[in-house]
Amino acid sequence: MDKFVYPSLKARLKTEYKIYIAAVIFILIADSIGQIQIPLGPGQFILFPIFYALIMGVLSGPQATKIMKSKEVKAASKLVIVAICPFIAKLGINAGASLETVVSAGPALLLQEFGNLGTILLAMPLAILLGMKREAIGATHSINRESNLALITDVYGPDSPEARGSLSIYVVGGMIGTIYFGFMVSVIAMLDIFHPYALGMASGVGAGILMASAVASLTEIFPAMADQISALASASETISGIDGIYMSLLIGLPLCNWLYKVLEPRIGRFGGKRRQEKAAAADAVEEKEEQK
Amino acid sequence: MRYIEWLVLFVISGCGIALANFVGFDVGFMESLPGILVLLVIAALGVAVSKVIPLKLPVVAYVSIIGLLAACPVSPCREFVIDAAGKINFTAPLTMVGAYAGISISDQIKSFLKQGWKMILVGVFVMTGTFVGSALIAHVVLKITGAI
Repeated sequence: MDKFVYPSLKARLKTEYKIYIAAVIFILIADSIGQIQIPLGPGQFILFPIFYALIMGVLSGPQATKIMKSKEVKAASKLVIVAICPFIAKLGINAGASLETVVSAGPALLLQEFGNLGTILLAMPLAILLGMKREAIGATHSINRESNLALITDVYGPDSPEARGSLSIYVVGGMIGTIYFGFMVSVIAMLDIFHPYALGMASGVGAGILMASAVASLTEIFPAMADQISALASASETISGIDGIYMSLLIGLPLCNWLYKVLEPRIGRFGGKRRQEKAAAADAVEEKEEQK
Repeated sequence: MRYIEWLVLFVISGCGIALANFVGFDVGFMESLPGILVLLVIAALGVAVSKVIPLKLPVVAYVSIIGLLAACPVSPCREFVIDAAGKINFTAPLTMVGAYAGISISDQIKSFLKQGWKMILVGVFVMTGTFVGSALIAHVVLKITGAI
């Protein structure tokens, strides 16, 4: 049977009531403000209530206003999954309602899953240029949400440089990901390179809150195609949720390790020269010891 | 989590959605109610299925698939499900998600600030790379298959 965090429902409510009250207050404030559209070049950047709620949540915590203590912080991460379920259900309904679009995009839906590896090709060279070592593998192997972090910790161990890199990007993604994702997606939509359907599919990256932020922006930018976009995002997100871990384990990590081996000796020296020399010195010592 | 815990937490989420839908979009509680019930029932079914089926997939994957089935052309309640869910504005369920997510990372502010600009830049590239990579492949395949 499952292991329960709380001895009873009552114990849960007693521990978490402050979170529920805070959430209600944040909703009142955030949805009263509503969407704010900021013109940006030919398009717009849209601020959503989810962003304000997120920021208020962060500020309510133990490292800012201290309204929430660490026990509430710990409890809240489970609640995220609960609260996102109705939203995922809504997107699933959209996918069912626009099933034709989803089916006709079938091949694209399946193949674009490999696009998630784009993160390796784009971010790994940068990480190495900036002087990162094995941290780069954890940092760039995937979008680094909870399940990816767990995978890296499992494969390399919790104290490994790979796990440190993964954790760093996890923290960065949690803190700025939701807002950055909405922003980045708006900018790419404005560039008018990709069809809105393709953008919808690309939104399903295997992280519910990032997908939500992307789809919210896209449906504002392309209101006439809102249903199809959210349907495709839902399908893509579901597929990512199922294959994400295998994708990382079977393709992402091997690709990362290979790319690291190829790139690090060639471009690694631009970044952390001193660190590399230190590492080289350590290697030399190791070699000597081996020779003995 | 016990079923009863899921249930109570879902009801709380439902209240949050109703509130956001009212405050943000002027949709009354009674008007939102059928849609919220539909979303919560699908979510609850997803949880139940994930506990019964031994295949270990994320709960959200099951919820999404059940939502799709409930609204697909062969579903007997298709019209009702689509109409009811249509009353719930797209971003209404998200505010509560944001509130919880914000609280859940509120102990990472210091850790975030310690990462330095390099990690933040890499993080930005990680997110951009995933999205652009997928969009590129999707766009090309949609063109090849003639879907767009």
